[in-house]
Amino acid sequence: MPSNQVELLQGTLDMLILNTLALAPLHGLGISQRIEQVTRGTFQVKPGSLFPALHRMEERGWLKSSWGESDNNRRAKYYELTRAGRRQLEAETRRWKQISVAVGRALEANS
Amino acid sequence: MKWLSVGRSFLRNLFRRKQVEQALDDEISSYTELLVAENMKRGMTEPEARRAARLEMIGPSQVKEQVRSVRAGAWLAALWQDLRYGFRVLRKNPVFTLAAVLTFAIGIGANTTIFSMVNGLLLRPVPVPHSDRLTYLVQRRDHWRNSFSYPDFEDIRRDARTAFSDLAAVRIFQIEGLNVGGQTHTIWTEYVTTNFFSMLEIRPILGSLIAPSDKIAGSDPVMVLSHSYWKNHLGGDPNIVGRKATLNGRSVTIIGVAPEGFRGVTPIFETQGYLPIGVFSYMQVQHGKDPLTERTGDGVLVFGRLADSVSLEKAQSALAVIARRLAEQNPASAKDLSLRTYFLGSGLLSPDGSNPLRVVTSLFLVLSGLLLLLASANVANLLLVRALARNREMAVRSALGAVRFRLIRQVLAETMLLGIMGCIGGAILGIAGSRVISGLPLQSDLPIVFDFSFDWRVFAYAFSAALLLALASGLVPALRAARVNLNDALREGSRGYSSRRSRFRAVLVTAQVGGSLMLLIVAGLFVRSMQNVEHTDLGFDPNQVVNFGLDPHTAGYDEVRGREFDRELLERVRAVPGVEFASVALTVPMGPEILGSELKVEGYQEPPGQRKPAAEMNAVSSGYFSTMRIPIVRGRDFLDSDTESSQRVALVNELMAQTYWAGKDPIGHTFVRTDKPDYSWKIIGVVKNSHSQLLEPVSPAFYVPMAQDYRARQTLQVRTSSPTSAATKTIMEVVHSFEPAMAIFDVRTMTQSLNTPDGFMLFRLAAAITSSLGLLGLVLAIIGVYGVVSYSAAQRTHEIGIRIALGARHSQVLRTVLRQGVLIVLFGSAFGILTAIAVARLVGSFLVGVSAIDPATYIGVSLLLAAIALLASFIPARRATRVDPMLALRYE
Repeated sequence: MPSNQVELLQGTLDMLILNTLALAPLHGLGISQRIEQVTRGTFQVKPGSLFPALHRMEERGWLKSSWGESDNNRRAKYYELTRAGRRQLEAETRRWKQISVAVGRALEANS
Repeated sequence: MKWLSVGRSFLRNLFRRKQVEQALDDEISSYTELLVAENMKRGMTEPEARRAARLEMIGPSQVKEQVRSVRAGAWLAALWQDLRYGFRVLRKNPVFTLAAVLTFAIGIGANTTIFSMVNGLLLRPVPVPHSDRLTYLVQRRDHWRNSFSYPDFEDIRRDARTAFSDLAAVRIFQIEGLNVGGQTHTIWTEYVTTNFFSMLEIRPILGSLIAPSDKIAGSDPVMVLSHSYWKNHLGGDPNIVGRKATLNGRSVTIIGVAPEGFRGVTPIFETQGYLPIGVFSYMQVQHGKDPLTERTGDGVLVFGRLADSVSLEKAQSALAVIARRLAEQNPASAKDLSLRTYFLGSGLLSPDGSNPLRVVTSLFLVLSGLLLLLASANVANLLLVRALARNREMAVRSALGAVRFRLIRQVLAETMLLGIMGCIGGAILGIAGSRVISGLPLQSDLPIVFDFSFDWRVFAYAFSAALLLALASGLVPALRAARVNLNDALREGSRGYSSRRSRFRAVLVTAQVGGSLMLLIVAGLFVRSMQNVEHTDLGFDPNQVVNFGLDPHTAGYDEVRGREFDRELLERVRAVPGVEFASVALTVPMGPEILGSELKVEGYQEPPGQRKPAAEMNAVSSGYFSTMRIPIVRGRDFLDSDTESSQRVALVNELMAQTYWAGKDPIGHTFVRTDKPDYSWKIIGVVKNSHSQLLEPVSPAFYVPMAQDYRARQTLQVRTSSPTSAATKTIMEVVHSFEPAMAIFDVRTMTQSLNTPDGFMLFRLAAAITSSLGLLGLVLAIIGVYGVVSYSAAQRTHEIGIRIALGARHSQVLRTVLRQGVLIVLFGSAFGILTAIAVARLVGSFLVGVSAIDPATYIGVSLLLAAIALLASFIPARRATRVDPMLALRYE
């Protein structure tokens, strides 16, 4: 594992997935590639954590899925945000910003 | 919203598993395909692309397993899986399963039986609505007691309106003769205040119950019957309501039947009929004065229903105020009066609110709980042995990704399955056991009902016992089974590990031997005290004597006709072939009551501080001492010439003679009874001492002729040389031939009446229960010892083979293997004796004629147990010496 990769914090994966799907519906592979791209390779989401997260969020009603055609004409399962999912994303984003501001201040105070 | 969605998924996962799984399969394979396509776009060949994709996935089945584990209801699916798998495993090992289930069933069955007894005696409330608000009252004058005089009850009731929504009184029950349609049956009746049934909030099953509007005094009173009396004695006659009947020769009208299962407010004694308390003096006119108007009288029980939102403490303080007021009003009779009230509970009415049977019953519960532990030790042992056999299975599962918790859960699920099966078996055994105890012939004068039937409490107890048992026996094996060392386990055999396990098992079995020894010692103590009680010299000969309860008064006889009846009765009975002696007596030994009288003895002055002279009293006909075989030491027996009109005479026992006429010949001396002060009684003879109560010391006692102190209620006693059952039948026919309406009750042999709750019965019950527990414990311990020794012998087959091959003699091998068994027995016995001493101290007061640390019992029982346990380890040890060294060496 390259040294610039970090372990995902608990709960962060959910937010990343929700955030990724906020723009457009995507299939599983699309989501993991997108996260890797956006975070410049810091996070690589393996199927072993991606699929449990997708299924859990779908069961909670944040995502819904449907079968569709991929770019290269293969069948794939697409996930998109529901209204509850959007609300969840907003809540998570707010929380995350609070945390990052707080942690940032704490670190500045010491330097 | 979220929970709605999760709930929907939960149902879908549960009921449409196939579709869900199919969708997951499709999704994963589509993901793989996309990944392959992606990789090929980057220039890989197809095989390379697939390999890369598989590497990234780690493995499709692991991914799927991870998705499954986050699904809604995953735990349920896993539990179901565990149970199904557990069931398959158990079915594949029928011997193990049977052994474990049987052990469970024995432990739970014994516990359930004993708990059903405790439930029936202590826990089950009187079956009326809101019984948790019912209380009974007690009073203290010189000591606490539960009976009141009727005027006191009326005063309390009037003043206690704030604390109690109502108070009702019951005149303690008594036996009477009820004649319905020409046939007389005895019936135990209570005279109740007219608000009795409305206070209890019960409704009739037929007709109506006594209500405040009913006529409360005068002739032709109303009467209510109990359900079981109506069913058993009147055939459940549906037209009973409105029927005229006679009770002791006086007409009554039956107005209704109480609900099924209602046996009165003291359910251990079944009340069969209820009348309004206002008619008591009318019905009981022969007793002379009206007991209900006497403030010094007693015999009235008082029950209350707490008013809404009034606590027991509030009611106590209200009663304290009332007690002070009553004391002021009646300074003569109620100077130091105190009143208290306690919850009715199961209706035992003890004067201090405690439960008189608590110690014995808790002891039984503790002992049976111990048996449960012994059973769980055995099952734990079985499971540990099996855990060894499953070491590889566990290792394989662990290698395939099962986490430790999952393995623990699997073993626990199997134990729970065993527990459930054992619980069912145990409940069946328990029901059978409680039937046996409930059905023990009580031979009592009182209509005692031991109702140990099962209710939800007993089932809840059985179930929690099973759960506890399963957990206790499954936890350690489960933890150990899950602690697999993959390296060791997947390689064949791991000796260091198993020897540690068998050490744990040896400790378990040692504790088992100790526990069962303790049970056996306690059982031994109870058996010895039962023997002591049974061999007490009673002072009379109970064999070949039959008692018949008679009460001419209940058949409508007055005193004059009653005396005639007695004369004719004895004449006819004495003429029956086989009858050696026949007599009537007011009371019989071990009977429900003993009468006594205070005395004035000329020339006797009691030492200061001692009680006034008093003695037990019995009125008997001529022939009594021959019937009972109580020897007359000096003087003469009563004769038919000792009549109402002649000099009052008495016989005294030796103790009375020594007490009041020490150093003198009492014959010719006289004494006066304070209850009949008009006569002085002249002593005409001295008889040997005899016991009137089993466990009490002999008291001074005197006997007077029935003719000079007539009472209607009496017992005909017959000594016969023919078999008692045949004689009993003949004599009943003789009585009915000249008085068909005469009720004959409490017919039993004298030996039977020794076996009553206050006689041998409690001792026999205690001995029977502790012995059964002890024997079951012994069986479990023996199985445990046998199991451990034979298992470790089997484990050492290899080693023994080598020893024999190197020239070890059989005796040496035997010693090596036996050593473990001997150690278990030694340590176990020491442990058992110590715990037995501790427990026996608690039961010391229930033992008769044997000390709580009786050496003979301790040594005898320990030797017995040691011998059996050593035999159990000798058998596998001996088998070990027969090992063929060649086979043993080739074995591994």
